[in-house]
Amino acid sequence: MEKFKKYIKELFESGEIEGFLGIRKNGLHPVPHLFTPEHPEELETLTIPDVRYPMTEILLTIVRKYPDKKLGIMVRGCDERALNELVKNQKILPELIKHIGIACSADLAASCRCAQPYPEEIHYGEKVAPVEDRSDIEAIDTMPQEERFDYWMSEFSKCIKCYGCRNICSMCFCDQCTLEDNDLIATGQAPPAIPIFHLIRAFHMAGRCIDCGLCEEACPAHIPLRTLYRKVRESMSGFLGYVSGTEGGEKDPLEFLGSEGYMVPSKIDEK
Amino acid sequence: MTNSVPEFEDADCILITGSNTTSSHPLIASRIMKAKEKGAKIIVVDPRKMHIASLADIYVAQNLGSDVAWINGLMRIILQEGWENASFIKERTEGFEELKKAVAEYTPEKVEEITGIPKETLKEIAKIYATSEKSSIVYCMGITQHATGTDNVKSLANLAMLTGQIGRPSTGVNPLRGQNNVQGSTDLAAIPNVYPGYQPVTDDAIREKFEKAWGVPLSPDPGLTVVEMINAVEEGKLKGLFVLGENPLVSDPDSNHVEKALDAIDFLVVQDIFMTETARKADVVLPGASFAEKDGTYTGTDRRLQKIRKAVEPPDEAKADWDVLCRVGKAVGGKGFEFASPEEVFREIAEVMPIYHGITYDRIEKEIIHWPCRSEDDPGSPYLHKDGFAKGKGHFTPIGYKPPVELPDKEYPYQLTTGRLPFHYHTGTMTRVSPSLTHEVNEAFIEVHPTNAFEIGVKNSQVVRLTSRRGSVNAKVIITNDVKKGVVFMPFHFAEAAANRLTIAALDPIAKIPEYKVCAVNIEKIEESEA
Repeated sequence: MEKFKKYIKELFESGEIEGFLGIRKNGLHPVPHLFTPEHPEELETLTIPDVRYPMTEILLTIVRKYPDKKLGIMVRGCDERALNELVKNQKILPELIKHIGIACSADLAASCRCAQPYPEEIHYGEKVAPVEDRSDIEAIDTMPQEERFDYWMSEFSKCIKCYGCRNICSMCFCDQCTLEDNDLIATGQAPPAIPIFHLIRAFHMAGRCIDCGLCEEACPAHIPLRTLYRKVRESMSGFLGYVSGTEGGEKDPLEFLGSEGYMVPSKIDEK
Repeated sequence: MTNSVPEFEDADCILITGSNTTSSHPLIASRIMKAKEKGAKIIVVDPRKMHIASLADIYVAQNLGSDVAWINGLMRIILQEGWENASFIKERTEGFEELKKAVAEYTPEKVEEITGIPKETLKEIAKIYATSEKSSIVYCMGITQHATGTDNVKSLANLAMLTGQIGRPSTGVNPLRGQNNVQGSTDLAAIPNVYPGYQPVTDDAIREKFEKAWGVPLSPDPGLTVVEMINAVEEGKLKGLFVLGENPLVSDPDSNHVEKALDAIDFLVVQDIFMTETARKADVVLPGASFAEKDGTYTGTDRRLQKIRKAVEPPDEAKADWDVLCRVGKAVGGKGFEFASPEEVFREIAEVMPIYHGITYDRIEKEIIHWPCRSEDDPGSPYLHKDGFAKGKGHFTPIGYKPPVELPDKEYPYQLTTGRLPFHYHTGTMTRVSPSLTHEVNEAFIEVHPTNAFEIGVKNSQVVRLTSRRGSVNAKVIITNDVKKGVVFMPFHFAEAAANRLTIAALDPIAKIPEYKVCAVNIEKIEESEA
């Protein structure tokens, strides 16, 4: 850990980064924090706990405010997949963002069922084996169609429209959110319109979801959102050969629709 | 709550009444959903078919204010079928014979007539609740906000004791408290008849203890409750009011009456984090710090203490409540306000409150502690009444059904009940300043049964005028089967069309809680030209 802190300090001193998004200990409480060269003493509180935060989502907020700053960010395997996708979608400039890699512990990888629990370059921790687990998708794929339909309808009926799934998602970077479009989903109702609220989100996750699972962890209604998006993710790679989260290359093939593809056509709007 | 929040997950039956759980307590609803996934039966008894009702195994709508009747009816069935817990009754309770006598007249037929609950459904509920291994009762304002609120709560306590569904994990009688720290503020005696830790002001020994601790003489008489204070202003007995984090102009019943009193008062101070309707009437407004801007502790609905830590500085002149109060205390020449930090305040709290005595900041950093926690080596109490009740034996109270204070008549033929929406909190002080929440809903409406909408001659989204004996407001109509015929529901978040201009200030004789949940109203269509 001391070596890690020293490494960040050196990055500050050399001017390679002007801020580092990591996690600090506040009492016994780990919280995300933007460390800066102006306060190197804060690095004493730097910690790498076995819990996750939506670091790339927080990074986006910082980048919107300081678009020209060179920033370091603590990345796990999932965070790196998110950053790759954000670069392809022109939400961040790769030359301004330095990945400071953390390999997840075997415990964390197991609890996340993570297919790639480490980033490309590791600055802290030891690489552990990926977890290949499709049991959640298989359990639903083997249900008779009618039962499967009832299963999802009943899961969606638990939704309290807290937007937790969207708010924690670093792939939800649109300026305007279709889920808030009154013409598609009536406002003021919980559960929100079934199943369209969740299907819109699932469709938008196609070609974007990097399978971090934070949405499902955040959901107070315990809707198995990750299973839904994993299935969509599989379909994207199966039908269109696109695996989101991989570095470089083409953008999500559904992007040919353009940013307006997600909006309500103006004709409907006028009614 | 007699039990702690995580325990819900392991219950076999959860009986929810008068609680819009998914809206008002979503994280508790989430535990209840987990219990359901593990096989627990969820029963909802509520006049309005809310979200949690649609997720329940059994849902039934009772008539407004008929709770004592259906709970007595359940107990009569339980006794008749032999589903009571005889050893629990014998060893842990007193007054059983009187209870038995009192519930005898509540036959399923009579209960169906009073409550509208079909007798078959009542029996099914009685069986599942009484015969499940671990049954838990969840209730909220739908039970308490009645002139018979205390009766309703005692009836639920009778039911839990009769079946021995109390004093064990995942059982109990569990009122869900609203604000994050409302339990803490009650513990700290923001009620007029006790000192901190529920120590009665009328007890000489206790009063002496506090006189010694605070170095001042104290009154042996209980003070006034909220609605009584407003009445005292009107009677000229109360000249000044210091309101902290509350918006009585919108949240108290019979708002027109409250407004008159606040206009007449000599001196009004309001301390809040945002400008409120009440604060606009104040002589002095003191800006408070929000949860993220201060250090301290919160005591949650299940008596668990948690530390909060300042994340950002309060804006401008805003200050933490304890700091403001200490400054005011010192300014009026009071002694004992020389605290340097919330931790110092907490040390005094633990000193004078036996139920918090073993709790320190250091401990709650590392441990999960629910009060009572009486010494440093006491692990605290996730659930209460394990080996005995506070007074030794649990006392059954025989209770008879009393109808609501104001019943519908020719002039006011509909029954109004009030409540909350998932997107707003209370009078909207905190939520109506949020763009994403106001995007969801930002105006008052009423829910009306299709038959009544036809009768009144209104369509969805048309505006109607609601009138009670106390006032009148306009609101948009939503036609729905979620309310019974004759009942209208109105959320009370919206000051510009405040449901509380209509509600009645009839008080429960013991708790002094107002009957927000039932009053009589008339509904009139507003002609296009008027609207």
